[in-house]
Amino acid sequence: MTSAKQDRWLHVRVISSDAKGETVRVNVPLELAEKVLPAINHDRLHGGKVKIVCAHVNDVDLRVMMDAIRAAKDGEYVTVQGTDNDVRVAKQDNHLIVHVLDKGKSKRSQVEIKVPMKVIDALFSAGKDELDLVAALHALSAAGDTELVSVKDNENTVKVWLDSKNVTD
Amino acid sequence: MVLLAKAALGVTGTLFVAGAYTFHEGVIRIDVDEHRAGGSHVHMWVPAAAVPMAMHLVPQKHLREAAKHSREALPIAHAIVKQLKRYPNVDLVEVVHGKQHVQIRTHDGKLQIDVQAPDEQVHLLVPLSTLDDVTRQLEDSAPRA
Repeated sequence: MTSAKQDRWLHVRVISSDAKGETVRVNVPLELAEKVLPAINHDRLHGGKVKIVCAHVNDVDLRVMMDAIRAAKDGEYVTVQGTDNDVRVAKQDNHLIVHVLDKGKSKRSQVEIKVPMKVIDALFSAGKDELDLVAALHALSAAGDTELVSVKDNENTVKVWLDSKNVTD
Repeated sequence: MVLLAKAALGVTGTLFVAGAYTFHEGVIRIDVDEHRAGGSHVHMWVPAAAVPMAMHLVPQKHLREAAKHSREALPIAHAIVKQLKRYPNVDLVEVVHGKQHVQIRTHDGKLQIDVQAPDEQVHLLVPLSTLDDVTRQLEDSAPRA
């Protein structure tokens, strides 16, 4: 079941492996999100842009860091192998990739984020201390089918992905 | 006799046209069944076209009050409904938790919300065009800033 026009769909699926086996499936047309976001004016979100009052997170200027990553060649930028966590930040095939492995004894979890650089560019295209969510969604709609976020732990599996189907697998 | 037949034809024609107009946008369907002692069972079928018409009869001050209370949510609701009209048959949200099942989707241009739980069932079906009319009328009634 696909729409006549090739709409782009953002899908979220959460599967819990607890006794009741909770499952959540959300399918959102990107164009709908693009049109609805500017109508939300609440707290720091206005006109599809969100104010970030702490662009200097822990004395790191996010915008400067993104500019540096954009200009840099493919490669691994951060690799941390600790006793509790393994973190890897890399740029590969015009995608920003973040892998986090939480090796906590009680709850082992793995997070994988893969975002096209064009989306990151669009996100930071607004003024200073602002993230342009609508521009990011628009850039995302031009991206091919891709898995954006994957989170796995002992109890839950979360997957966020983009494709042209209006139903989840 | 001919006069009577003409009058009957006129009345029948008017009723048919009025009926066709009333139901041309479909019906709003609400079904609520609470499966417990004293639980309520509500089953309503309302012609969707009647709702925007009925809203014209509501005193302006009540509409203004309703619009004022939902000032932040109305533009969002209107934007969502306007966009959803482009997607007449899609599954939007589905949550399954044990024996509870919630589904929000559009079906034949209607917003369909189904909640199924062991002790209650709620089914709501509202044409998107009706929601569009209602949110637009409420927005128009909102006091200007």
